Amino acid sequence: MLLADFGTTYCKLLDTLQDTHPRIIPSRDLEPSFQADLATGHNAARRSRRSINELSALARGGRSLIGSDSFVLLDCGSRDLKFVRFAGGKVADMGWNAECGASMGFTIELLASYYRLDYAAMEVPKSGFSVTCGVLGMSHIFDAVVQGSTEEEAVARFVRGIALNAHRFAGAPEELYLSGGLCANPLFVASLPCTVHLLGRFVLLEGLRQLQEKGI
Amino acid sequence: MGKRVGIVGVPPLAVIAQLNREGAEIFDLDEPQVRAPIDQSALWVPKVYCAILRTVVLNCMLLPLDRIYIDVGPGKCDAALYIASVLEGMLPIPIHRTRNEDRVAFGHPLCTTAMPLVERFAAITKTVQSAGPHTPREICTPLCGFWGVPPRDFDLLAVFPNETHVFGWTRCMENKTPADLELECRFDPTLPTVFFTQSFCAKAALAQHLGRKHPQALVIDCDVSPSNSARAKIEAFLELSGVPTNTTTPF
Repeated sequence: MLLADFGTTYCKLLDTLQDTHPRIIPSRDLEPSFQADLATGHNAARRSRRSINELSALARGGRSLIGSDSFVLLDCGSRDLKFVRFAGGKVADMGWNAECGASMGFTIELLASYYRLDYAAMEVPKSGFSVTCGVLGMSHIFDAVVQGSTEEEAVARFVRGIALNAHRFAGAPEELYLSGGLCANPLFVASLPCTVHLLGRFVLLEGLRQLQEKGI
Repeated sequence: MGKRVGIVGVPPLAVIAQLNREGAEIFDLDEPQVRAPIDQSALWVPKVYCAILRTVVLNCMLLPLDRIYIDVGPGKCDAALYIASVLEGMLPIPIHRTRNEDRVAFGHPLCTTAMPLVERFAAITKTVQSAGPHTPREICTPLCGFWGVPPRDFDLLAVFPNETHVFGWTRCMENKTPADLELECRFDPTLPTVFFTQSFCAKAALAQHLGRKHPQALVIDCDVSPSNSARAKIEAFLELSGVPTNTTTPF
């Protein structure tokens, strides 16, 4: 069975009969006729035989991977933020910020490419910008550069601002499980003001796998 | 032929009884009564404003009416008080401000019976137009709860199972006691419950406050129509709480 997490910029695929590990391919490289059996993500409805919503996949994947019945799991993707909070094994709260948290991950990737930055080599700044979305946040970078900051410093403050915003969005927990593409960004992870456990990019796929295995 | 009368909120029972005696045709201006883009209301109210009150203004711009009763007391909201002034500036017809502080409880049989939630909300909002007693209904065993006001767009309700108990101001509305804060604050902590408010509504503070007290709550707000992410949040919350849902959001 072909499982797919159709992210906005990257797709995560797992053929349960052939693959030992999930594959990642840029969404722009998908064939127009590509179809999965079970999928989640923004393009899941038109690219799969059956789709489930992302929060449901995230929660199921988190419950499978995290050895606790009380936790907060935050997914930071290229387009939006999602979190789910479990308490005593039950879902207690959840959120999906597709509007005000828009395009943060994608903007971070674009900035690294444009300014030729390596997030692994950047220090966490003392303060961050007040950022609510990737597009509006870029103005802060341009203003800071005009006022004498280096491009690297300005982008670092932007990333820290996004991390603080994401942390608040998830309810400001002291301990956070993080999934999604931003797990691979050391500056973002280090900017989160809490204990962070990285789960990587395949939590939603794990949620799909759980559904498939249970025959739901 | 009876007069065409618009109502905003829940006017006092005495007003509704009088309109019923007159044989007036009542239009609930909180609900869409005309087919027109809601942004047309920006001529009179800001775009970033409660979608229900923007709907009131849009209805008043396009619907021929003889007079309007707008509740501006604790049973509605502060914003309605200001909208009453806007309507006076807009329209040449009488705008009657009311303060509904009725305390006679009519009960809330629709809120606790089994019925598709969209139909149920349509029936509940319709009860405002009558001064008569409610038809008794069987109370169902609930699977989940919905707390809040009737949403601007009832599509939001489609995902809920028929066995959803309704709380909050909607219950006050059916009970004909819209200013009963104690009733509005009630919820069932044993039921997974969605606490809903319109975006830019002062009731959002109450929803958040009650949602924090509830052990299994989803607090959500929507503007004009529910976004896909809002629908998906509700669907995932119900599904993960073990509640069967009526539809599947294609995400």
